[in-house]
Parts: sequence; C-alpha cells; structure tokens
Amino acid sequence: MKLPALTLNQKLAIVAVALGTLALFSVPHRGPVVTLDTRELALIVEKEVDHVTPSELAGWIVQGRSDYRLIDLRAESEYAAYHIPTAENVTVAALPDFPFLRNEKIVLYSDGGIHAAQAWMLMQAQGYRAVYTVLGGLEGWKDDVLYPALPAQASGAERARFERAVALSRFFGGEPRAEGGAVAPVPTELPKLAAPVPSGAGSPVAPRKKKKEGC
Amino acid sequence: MAPFYKYGFFGDEMSLVLAFVLGTGFGFFLERAGFGSARKLAAQFYLYDMSVFKVMFTAIVTAMLGVTYLGWLGWLDLSLVYLVPTHLVPQIVGGLVLGVGFVVGGYCPGTSVASLATGRIDGFVYAFGIGAGTLVYAEVFPWLKGFVNSNDMGQVTLPEVFDLPWGVVVFAVVMIAVAGFSAATFIERRIGDRS
Repeated sequence: MKLPALTLNQKLAIVAVALGTLALFSVPHRGPVVTLDTRELALIVEKEVDHVTPSELAGWIVQGRSDYRLIDLRAESEYAAYHIPTAENVTVAALPDFPFLRNEKIVLYSDGGIHAAQAWMLMQAQGYRAVYTVLGGLEGWKDDVLYPALPAQASGAERARFERAVALSRFFGGEPRAEGGAVAPVPTELPKLAAPVPSGAGSPVAPRKKKKEGC
Repeated sequence: MAPFYKYGFFGDEMSLVLAFVLGTGFGFFLERAGFGSARKLAAQFYLYDMSVFKVMFTAIVTAMLGVTYLGWLGWLDLSLVYLVPTHLVPQIVGGLVLGVGFVVGGYCPGTSVASLATGRIDGFVYAFGIGAGTLVYAEVFPWLKGFVNSNDMGQVTLPEVFDLPWGVVVFAVVMIAVAGFSAATFIERRIGDRS
C-alpha cells in the first residue's frame, strides 16, 4: 500500500506536532542554577563598584530618582521603627522569592554591612547583576547623612563637604553634630518616619518610570 | 546567552539598527504573504481566504517552539524576556477597537506600513490615520488612564494562569493550531466553492 503524497503544509504540520509533543517534556531554563564567575565577583568586591555611599544614596532620594529599588533587609519591626525614605522591606529570608526584574538596579542595606553583603552574594547567585549595597548600612546612613560630624581641625574641603552634609541631614530630619568643634555622640533617637521626601505628590515613592519596551 | 540586549552584548544604538533590520524583514515577509493588499486581508473576514489566520498562527507556533527549545537548551533566559503586562478587560476592548479598524480599513498597523512601502495609496491613508489616531489618543489619555490601567494582572503567562506545566501549554497550542489550520482549509473550500 502506498501512502498518499503529503503537501508541504502537511509536512510542516507534522514537524510542528512532533516538536510540540517533545516539548511536553521540556523544562524551560529560568535560571535557578547558575555558574558564578568567581574571578569576576572577586574583582567587583575588590574594586568596590558594588557600593553606594550613604551620601550618594541621599542625593538620589533628593533628586527623586526612580531607576533603582532600595531594599531594607531588616526585620519588619525595625523597618517600621525607621527606614531610609523610599525603602521597601524585604527580609533576607524572603529575598530569593521576591519578584525582582533581572535588569532592575537593586540597592540593599541592613544594620551594618554583613547581611547586605551576604544578600548581595545570594542575588549574584540568582543571576541578578545590578545589585549594590549601601556602604556601612544603616549605621553608615546615620553617621554620614543623618548626624554628620565635622572633624576637629577640618580643612577647607572638609568644611565645604560638611556644609553640604548639613543641608542633606536637615532634609532627612537628622541633626548635624559638632558645629562648635566638640564631637557629640550619635543621638540614639532616630528621626520620625515622616521625613520629607521630594516627590511631594503624597506618595513617598516616586512613580516608577514605565519601561520603553514591547511594541 | 540570550536575550542579547539584557546581557549587554549590544547597546541602545545597535538595538535600533537591529530593530530596523528585523522590521524590514517583517515587512518583506508580510508583503510576500500578500498582506500588502487590503483585498487579501479583508478576505479573512469574509472567510474565503484564511491566509491571515494561517500566517499569524504559524508565526505564533514557530516563535513559541523556538523560545521553548532555546529555553530548554539553556540558551535563553525566559525570565529576562519582556512581557507586556496583562490588563484583561482594557486589552479585550483594545483588541475589538483594532479589529473594527482592521475590517473597515483593510489593514492592521504592520501591514499598512508594508503596503505604504510598496506605494499603495490606501496604505498611505491608513498609516496617516494611525499617526492621527495616536495623537488623539495621547491627548485624551488622561481621561482613559483609569480604565487602561485597570484589571492589572502583571506579567503573566498561560502556564501560570492555568497552573499547567509549560510543555503541556506548548503542546496544546500546537494542537489547536493544527486543528485550526485543517478547519481553516475546510472553511476556505466550502466558502470558496459557493462564491
């Protein structure tokens, strides 16, 4: 018995059905298993390009930039007590399942630097590339932004920097220390959460810019 | 590893050049499929020529299988592929508006540009209408904003919505396509014979 000759369309349909059937067993790659380039990571760490200083971050918040996400890694209660304006609360345990986009710029901070650094490594392992940590964490934020201090025998450049820091500090509801000379201890009381935020539209987080993608 | 743009293999400028090359190729194949002619496109809605249905569904199946296999081989990171967020009701309304325009004008946005490129006057008029319509839409957008942004389901895919494994959805779409092609050919013969 001879099989009837197939048209090109029928042949293509058979190919599609075969591929579709095989695809039943497919497990599309979604990147949970990755190979880390340890040399590259070591270089990033050594060159400190994964750091954002507290003053840089403060500048971004004042400008109302929305091209990054600030993540507070501490516990919910600590977040509720105080957090850097515009920060979202995601604990380290919740981080692996948090729906970040791969191409988002993510800035992490914790109390000191350790949790943020560990979380940074977790994010690298998950294939997120644009991840940064706030240098010194919340402690650094307090020292540099909220309660900046003028060192004794400050040079002219240091003085100029301090002037700018004073303005930033007031903006975030902090209190610059030691304008008279003596370095006062860091106040234990943190500013109230209603720190002024530039967007002014009521929402503390500036609206995210819509990505220009798709058709 | 793909997507190439997200992995930084080329920048914004190069992506515009590639978009031009790919868009030209898209237009070329639309024209080759006969879609530069409003007669061919309108025929779809009178059911005596199902080319539009067949070509578009073939494109969907081809792209879907390609993406599935590239993802399976680990050459494409699907989580990096941009998905337009789903707003169910606004998008159904938008689809109907586009469909009405398709029937009345005889083109869809892509094919109108292809027909414009081949010098057809109706294609030119249609493309001009798209430009004017876009301007009007931009002006009235503040009033429509609430509706356009309603029903936000985020970036979802069929496997997530139906809670099915990826492969099952791929297989089902291929089967629907093959059944659809057979049905389309059958309809063409019936309607074609009568007219």
